[in-house]
Amino acid sequence: MALADRSGGKAPAPVASFWQRHKEQIIAFLFVVPALVYVGVFAFYPAFDTISLSFQTPILAFTYFNYQSNVQSGLYTWIGNTLWLTAGALALQFALALGIASILARTFRGKTAFATIMILPIGIATVVAGFTFQQIFPGTGAGYANSILANFGVGPYYWLNANWEALAVVAIADSWKNTALVVIILVAGYATIPRALYQAAAIDGAGPLRQFRYVTLPGLRGFIVMALLIRGAQEVNIFQLAYIMIGSSPQLLTVQVYLLYTSGGGIYLASAVSTVLLGIVAVFILLVILVGGRR
Amino acid sequence: MTGDRPAAPAYRKPVLTLSNVGLYAAIVALSAFFLFPIYVIFLVAFTPTKYTLFAGRPPLIPPALTWSNLQAGLTGANSPFLPSMYLSLEIAFLVGALAIAIGIPTAYGLSRLGSRLAYGLTTVLFIVNMVPSITIAIPITVPFIKAGLYGSPISIGLTQELLALPMTVFLLVGAFQGLPRDLENQARVDGAGRMRAVYGNLVPLIVPALIAAFLLSWMLSWDESTFALILYNPATSATLPVNIFLAFTGRGNPAVGVAFSCVATIPVIILTVVLQRYLKGEDLAAGVRG
Repeated sequence: MALADRSGGKAPAPVASFWQRHKEQIIAFLFVVPALVYVGVFAFYPAFDTISLSFQTPILAFTYFNYQSNVQSGLYTWIGNTLWLTAGALALQFALALGIASILARTFRGKTAFATIMILPIGIATVVAGFTFQQIFPGTGAGYANSILANFGVGPYYWLNANWEALAVVAIADSWKNTALVVIILVAGYATIPRALYQAAAIDGAGPLRQFRYVTLPGLRGFIVMALLIRGAQEVNIFQLAYIMIGSSPQLLTVQVYLLYTSGGGIYLASAVSTVLLGIVAVFILLVILVGGRR
Repeated sequence: MTGDRPAAPAYRKPVLTLSNVGLYAAIVALSAFFLFPIYVIFLVAFTPTKYTLFAGRPPLIPPALTWSNLQAGLTGANSPFLPSMYLSLEIAFLVGALAIAIGIPTAYGLSRLGSRLAYGLTTVLFIVNMVPSITIAIPITVPFIKAGLYGSPISIGLTQELLALPMTVFLLVGAFQGLPRDLENQARVDGAGRMRAVYGNLVPLIVPALIAAFLLSWMLSWDESTFALILYNPATSATLPVNIFLAFTGRGNPAVGVAFSCVATIPVIILTVVLQRYLKGEDLAAGVRG
């Protein structure tokens, strides 16, 4: 595909000698072609289709109507809510993951058990996680978090009163489910930091905090950036977890797409919100390419 | 490369000293955070609903245990459980099988391509993983309806494969790269065609990675709910996660959702524990190397 053309375009040589010189590479590329066709048909084509649908209505071939209509319904608020949730969830799970990864970098009794406990939420389906946290943090004053707090004579709290509270509760649920993914990436990063650097830092009198700041963080930088971008794109896509827990208040882009699509708002209006979602993810994708290409 | 791991730090006898107290306090707190919601799933599944869903202050220690929630959800009148589980199983095995079928040639090709091209193609697969499922799912329903595949296991499986394939490929590329290059050369010198060399000589050596990739893909499909929600046909049946979603968002019986959650969760928790050594940071981050 486009990438093949680029590699071909670089060496403008007679066909026969090009084939001879690159035979192994061309055959290797042919093995990849089915996968490229598959993702082209099932991922990239529908994505472009969404963009094109967002500028149409049943009677108009090209219009901004879908965007204008959504702006009036609160598109900017939905974007804001989605970005705040993304930022909050990322901050929480990276704080947790950095702590857990540095614990797992040490040797201690019970390490395997702790690693297993930490990874369990990956196996819980998103919809189940959403329901569970709705039982812990409901907006009714009931719920398991209040049952715990009652032991200390505190509460009850109505967790979903303010928008920021509702988003924070979703961020906690998402971090519960996905922090392990970040930990796994950071642990791989830890393995690339030479132990000698820590010994040298210790000899120079650096304590654990300074070692973390001057050895661990620089060593993990590439991994942290990559994990932030990957998780960031996935946070923007949070859908069922949030919808089960908080419904539509505050509203997120994904939930709005779903409701427009299923409740008669129509595929065209839904596509406009969907395109905005895609645009935000595209920023993350561009950053992945830029950061990746610089290495 | 991360292959040449640094030597393990000198082993110190792990005893509970004053300096360790903070460490263990953190471990206990974090473990409680990760385990408590799983305990809540257990409570809601096995405690009478008057102590859970309908309690003003749900007790943390169950006053009574019961099977009736599960029974009502799984065998009650009109319970969609059996067709739902059958559909989920069918799709999950399809996604696992497709991941292997497409993943082997793709990973072999990537492991033999020059590093720049391989990097570019890996990035393409990686981008696929980042595109919002809901953005893809909505326009793709139209051709599926036209093809008469709306709500079919094939249509849902083919879309879920978008999430399973990149992970499978990253995992298998690592496995192929771990094999000595001479194995393939030797087979080809002995007269085997490339296909014979790949499938006859290389693939048998990466069977553990193939099993892991199959199970991870299976698991991903079993839990996936966005494609499965947009593409399901209400006239036939929906997967387990979709039925759970519908039950908890006001279009079904929450008790059914609770029972389904329990059934859907157990196999995946087991798989997660069994497969945790195959969940590698390099694969999740598309081969980032520091």
